[in-house]
Amino acid sequence: MNFIRFLKDKIAIITIIILALVFIAVLLLLTKVNTYVVFFVLLTLIGVTTACLYYEYFKKASFYKNLIKATNELDKKYLLSEIINSPDFFEGEILYDTLKISNKAMNDEISVYKLAMEEYREYIETWVHEIKTPISSSLLILENNQNEITKSLQEEIDKINKFVEQALFYSRSNTVEKDYIIKECNLKDIVKNCVKRNSKMLIKNKISVDIKVCDTLVFTDKKWIDFIINQIINNSIKYKSENSYIKFFAKENKNSISLYIKDNGIGIPKQDISRVFEKGFTGENGRLFSKSTGIGLYLCKKLCGKLGLKINIFSENGTTVEIVFPMGKLTNL
Amino acid sequence: MKIAIIEDDNKIRNELSQFLIKYGYDVFAPENFKNLVSDVLHEKVQLILLDINLPVYDGYYFCREIRKISNVPIIIVTSRASDVDELMSMHLGADDFVTKPYNLQILLARISSILKRVYHLEIPQEITYNGVTLDISKSIVSFNDREIELTKNEVKILNILMKNIGKIVPRDEIMNELWQSDEFVDDNTLTVNINRLRKKLESIELDNFIITKRGQGYLI
Repeated sequence: MNFIRFLKDKIAIITIIILALVFIAVLLLLTKVNTYVVFFVLLTLIGVTTACLYYEYFKKASFYKNLIKATNELDKKYLLSEIINSPDFFEGEILYDTLKISNKAMNDEISVYKLAMEEYREYIETWVHEIKTPISSSLLILENNQNEITKSLQEEIDKINKFVEQALFYSRSNTVEKDYIIKECNLKDIVKNCVKRNSKMLIKNKISVDIKVCDTLVFTDKKWIDFIINQIINNSIKYKSENSYIKFFAKENKNSISLYIKDNGIGIPKQDISRVFEKGFTGENGRLFSKSTGIGLYLCKKLCGKLGLKINIFSENGTTVEIVFPMGKLTNL
Repeated sequence: MKIAIIEDDNKIRNELSQFLIKYGYDVFAPENFKNLVSDVLHEKVQLILLDINLPVYDGYYFCREIRKISNVPIIIVTSRASDVDELMSMHLGADDFVTKPYNLQILLARISSILKRVYHLEIPQEITYNGVTLDISKSIVSFNDREIELTKNEVKILNILMKNIGKIVPRDEIMNELWQSDEFVDDNTLTVNINRLRKKLESIELDNFIITKRGQGYLI
C-alpha cells in the first residue's frame, strides 16, 4: 500500500476538488479580488486537502502494511487474526472483525478433524492389539499340528501379520516422537535379525543372502529401523528375478555410515524411480507383479525422516536402497 | 523344569502348554486367577510366562507381588510392542520381554537361555538313535566306537534330521535352521554340506544313514 496507489483510488474526489478550486479561483478573480489573495486562498485549500489525504493514508497504511506482512510471514495463515491488532478506523474494524469470525470458524473445523483423526488412530492401536490374539492362537495351533496344509496356512497367516504390523506403524508414523528411544545399535545384528525374520520367505523364493556388514554401531530406534529394513526385504522378495540375491554391505563416509541393500531383481523403471516414495504410488511393477498398497516405501521415507536418517534408492541391474546413518549422537535433522 | 503360563485366552494357553510339553517342559497353566500368587508359588515353578494384558487381573500387579516373595525368572508377554511397556516390565523385575504373536523358536531360545543362566543347567547335549550318538557340545558323531568331528553346519543338519526320525525334513526347513544360527547358506551350499556329512558318516561305517527323498527332502 503506497501513497500513489492510495491517491489513485481517490481520483474522483481529487478531480471534484480540483474543479471546485478552479471554480473558486475564477469566481474570486471575476469579483476583482487581489490576485495574490486568490493565489493564497488556492494554496491554503490545496495544502489543507493534501494534509487531510495524507493523514488518512498515514492512519490506514500502517494497519494494512502490518496485515500484509503478517500474512506473508505466517505459516498457519488461518491464525492471522490472533497476530494483528484491531485498527482504529471503521473500515479496518469491519475487516478485522470479519477476519476474526472467519478464522475462528476455520480453527473449529480443524479441531474437529484433528480429534477425529486421533480417535481413529486410537482405534487402530486397539484393533492391532486385539487382533494379535487370534493371530497368536492360530500360529500356535499350526505349530502344534504340523503338516503340509498347516505349513501353507502358516505362510498366509505370516502375511496377515505383516500387514497388521504395517497398519500399526502407519498409524504411529505421525507421532513417532511419542514412542521411540534412540539407542546405540549394532548394525550387523539389526541386519541379521531382519534376514532371520524373513528366512522362510527368502529360502522359499530361492533368494540367496550375503551380509558383509561389520559390527558398526549406529544410533537409532531398533523397532523402527527393523520395520524399515523389513519393508525393503519384502520388496526385494516381491520384485525378484531368476537367481536372485540380496546383498547387505556398509560404507563409512566422513560424517555418516551408509547401509546398502542391493538386489538383482526386476528393478524400477526410469520413469517411476523418482516417485517410489510417494504415498500410494504403485508404478508399473506394482501393477504388473502384485497388488501393492504403495505404502511401504512411503512409510520408510517418512520414518527415516523422523529418525534423522536419509534413504535413497537406485536402480541398476536390480534395486539398491541406501540408508544413511549420521555419525555422532546429535543428528542433523 | 516346570514353567507357569499365566494367560487368559484358552486357546493360547492350551496350545502353548502343548508346545512346551513337546519340548520337554512341565507346565502349570492356571485357568483361575483368584489365588494366582499363592498357586504359582505352591507349584514351585522355575519360570513364569506372564501375559501382561490380562483383562480382569492386572499383570503388573501380579509381577510386583511375586517379586516381593520370590526371585523366580519372569518372561513378560504382550501384544503391545511399545517401549513404555518394555521399560515398565524391566522396572518391575521381569527378566525378559516378548511380543505376541510369539516367534516360537525365539521364545524357546530365551526360555532355555534364562534357565541356563539362573539354574546353571546345561540343555541336553546328546541325541541318540540306533546306536548312533551325536554329541552337540563336542560336535562329534559316534557309532560303534568310531567317531568323527563335524563342522557347525553338519552338526545342525544331523541334529534336525535326528530330531525327526522317520519324518522327511524338507530342504527349506534345514536351510531355515542353519539361517537361524547365522549361517545364510544357499541351495548349492546345502547340497555340498550334506554330501560332506554323508562322506564323514560313511567313514565311520554309517552308509546310507541319510536318505534322499527326491523333491521332498531328507530323512533318517
